[in-house]
Amino acid sequence: MKKLINRRRFLQGSLVASAAATFPLAKNTAAATFEGYPDSMGVLVDLSRCVGCRSCEAACNKEQNLPAPEKPFNDFSVFDELSHGQKRRTDETRYTVVNRHDIPGLNHPLFRKIQCNHCLEPACLTSCFVNAYTKTPEGAVIYDASVCVGCRTCMIACPFNIPAFRYSSAFDPKIMKCIFCHDTRLVKGLPPACVEACPQEVMTFGRRTDILEMGRQRIRENPAAYVDHIYGEHEAGGTAWMYLSPVPFEQVEFNTAVPKEPILNYVKDFLSIVPMVLTIWPALFTGIHLLATKKEKMEQQKKSEGSES
Amino acid sequence: MKTTHRTLFVAVALLLAGASPGLGQTMDEYDAPTTVTIDSLSELYEPVIFSHVRHTKLAGCKDCHHHTTGHQDMHPNCVRCHLHSPPSQTVSCKDCHTRQQFYPEQVTELSNPNIYHIDKPGLKGAYHLNCIPCHVEKNAPSHCEGCHAMTDAGKDFFYLTDKTSATTKNKDNRVR
Amino acid sequence: MKTFIENKPATAIPIVSHLNPTGGQWNLKEKLWLGLSKQEYKEQFLRNPVNWVLIFIFAIGIPILLQRYIFGLGSITHASNDYPWGLFLGFGLFGMVPLSASGFLLGTTVEIFGRKDFTPIERLALLNGLLGYFFAVVYLLVDLGMPWRLYYPMIVSLGPAAVLFLVAWHVATYLSVQIAEVSSAFFEWIGWLKGKRFIKSITIGLTVSGIILSTLHQGALGALFTYAPAKVHPLWLSANFQWIHFFCSAIFAGLSMVIVSAALCKRYMTWRCDNQFLHNIDRCTLGLGKGCAYALITYLVIKLVGVAHDNEWAYLLTGWGQYFMLEMALAVILPMILFAYGVKHQRVGMVRFAAWISVFGIIWNRLNTSMICFNWQMYQEIPHWKEIWATITVFAIYFIVYRFILYRLPILYQWQGER
Repeated sequence: MKKLINRRRFLQGSLVASAAATFPLAKNTAAATFEGYPDSMGVLVDLSRCVGCRSCEAACNKEQNLPAPEKPFNDFSVFDELSHGQKRRTDETRYTVVNRHDIPGLNHPLFRKIQCNHCLEPACLTSCFVNAYTKTPEGAVIYDASVCVGCRTCMIACPFNIPAFRYSSAFDPKIMKCIFCHDTRLVKGLPPACVEACPQEVMTFGRRTDILEMGRQRIRENPAAYVDHIYGEHEAGGTAWMYLSPVPFEQVEFNTAVPKEPILNYVKDFLSIVPMVLTIWPALFTGIHLLATKKEKMEQQKKSEGSES
Repeated sequence: MKTTHRTLFVAVALLLAGASPGLGQTMDEYDAPTTVTIDSLSELYEPVIFSHVRHTKLAGCKDCHHHTTGHQDMHPNCVRCHLHSPPSQTVSCKDCHTRQQFYPEQVTELSNPNIYHIDKPGLKGAYHLNCIPCHVEKNAPSHCEGCHAMTDAGKDFFYLTDKTSATTKNKDNRVR
Repeated sequence: MKTFIENKPATAIPIVSHLNPTGGQWNLKEKLWLGLSKQEYKEQFLRNPVNWVLIFIFAIGIPILLQRYIFGLGSITHASNDYPWGLFLGFGLFGMVPLSASGFLLGTTVEIFGRKDFTPIERLALLNGLLGYFFAVVYLLVDLGMPWRLYYPMIVSLGPAAVLFLVAWHVATYLSVQIAEVSSAFFEWIGWLKGKRFIKSITIGLTVSGIILSTLHQGALGALFTYAPAKVHPLWLSANFQWIHFFCSAIFAGLSMVIVSAALCKRYMTWRCDNQFLHNIDRCTLGLGKGCAYALITYLVIKLVGVAHDNEWAYLLTGWGQYFMLEMALAVILPMILFAYGVKHQRVGMVRFAAWISVFGIIWNRLNTSMICFNWQMYQEIPHWKEIWATITVFAIYFIVYRFILYRLPILYQWQGER
């Protein structure tokens, strides 16, 4: 792995490297005006309708060939399970879970379905250094296990703590998360399994632009029944899976501190200086070197002149 | 004498014609079937044997059929358009609420700017969203098997180990 | 080793040139065995109490590492999806990389700034840097779900917009640079001077590459946390300046680590150090201490700027804020004062003490940023004991490799053969 560099090759290399570093940034100027694919699908989840029947969990398990669960899907004692004081979350055996939330002042609990929100500018995608994630034109954020290295940066980056890692496997670990039933349904224009299974039609599937309209209409027609906010409209730069809630979102344990801009915006400052350092540092430090060694060189010169005369 | 017979005949005919539920006439409970077998979605659960006649004693037509029978729903969101709406050609749920909810045909429909009811549920959603709140209120069965037993396919779907009992530790706490 | 050296003729051990006492040349095998017979080598090995501790660590640690590779990461960690990164990265990568900044710092000081008075410790600093980065990669190989795919971001599937992509490429390139820089010592030792001359000819280029690469990846390790703006406590995460904070702290981390290593070598490996090293080490330590003091005051100021920029003053009044101020006081202000005082009054012992505090302070800061103050609004995750032991084991391997090289290569002494 020894790289043999001489000055010329080094300068060439740094030029190429900085060009390569600026290339993705150059592409971003088009990305800055990109408003999303027109037929990008989305799902609106209405928490006032969910009764916690867990049919969606069962449907997902079947559609994605996930392992058999510890308890049957209509066993509701799972709502009392706590891990580190937290309710259930997605893990390597389940892409979606429903949790029960007891709301002060409400005479019945609310239930909330958790799954990948398929962000418009996913943090997992932007943080992945092997390009394992793709936001498809249909709207799904999908994952390519064949290039994943298992670094788990996507898990750090996801503001919703969704990707789960198959820690139990030594030779085939990978990220496990909801893929919007992309391969089996979305590409055929069909709704995901969970949406189709839900008896209460908690989830509405359609083009993201259309379901936003519909969500706004639902709030407008029933102002007393909903908080006037669609969670996911702007959170993390906008997500494909959005939520309506009858009570403030913090009470249903939504993270309301998620920034209303893509996570990538927080990283852009650093990414911008990379080409600057690559191009300025060589000149800067070569200059410093010349300045620092000038005195020595002058003395040497004097010595050699002195020895000649 | 013949003219009186003919007049009488016409009068009776008109009366009878007025009595039958043609277009423009509000329907009532006698126009409905006694029981309806709801089986268009059966897979995880058995078909529902729905007693229509029993429900006519418990609710008005508009509570389930909106304005389609000619009886008006006076909810402010409805009356602003449907105050004088006549009965429709069809009143059956499945004629408006599609079985193929969210399939491509229905999705493209949503982007039609001329449609107001872009929030119309599909058939399965319509049944549950319409029926269950009233069942909860009137203390009628509101859990899954209260209306339809689980099939074997359903038991596989939910990973039920005990194939004889479908409702295990069912804690449906929904109360409205 | 001391006993052997005292008992044998002065020309024999420790090996400082190609020539052995009989007038012939040491061969490679003899050089590796330090010029001792196998029996003597074993004796000195067993006499050293540090080796007993190491044997104990490995007895438990090696099986744990094997378990990790055979049964998966879940068998030695808590397999947390909320805390995907544990000690392997928190200590091994984020902790050891700033401590290994000594390579580019001393390289720059000697070659670019022309400060030849630091030459006696230059090689030690370069070796420290090389081994630190190399073992950061080893820690990565333990932590990655699929370590056999380590090279994927290079040639299989590239994600150039990701910060980790930059880290991967830079660490790989910088490792090459450092191997080249340390190789001159190796070439001297094995007597291949052509190689050494070649390296010398490209030293300026290597050093400048080193500065560029180090600036960016030290900063990039900080920038990694900007992917989780809502997860790291605001006092430890500045969206705009995180990379500068990490880069600046790497400066005093690297310098402190050299001070500490040199102090340990002077105290416990005196037999291996030559007079040039021993006579200059105190002076060099003071010089490095001066650099640390400047870097620490700069770091303190830019940390305060970070707090002001994001208007986080209110957080200082919370429990986490008190923890932050404790870290600032113990890991930044205290060593800064000790360095400044020690340099001013020529107290080398004080400078060394400050360096020790500084090294632990950096590790503490990195553990805070990556694990303790990460998910600060969630439960606190304590690593599995096997994870802790595995981390210690890999560090022990780093230690024995470091010691192995120091015992043999002309790092702490000058080669008396042709140079």
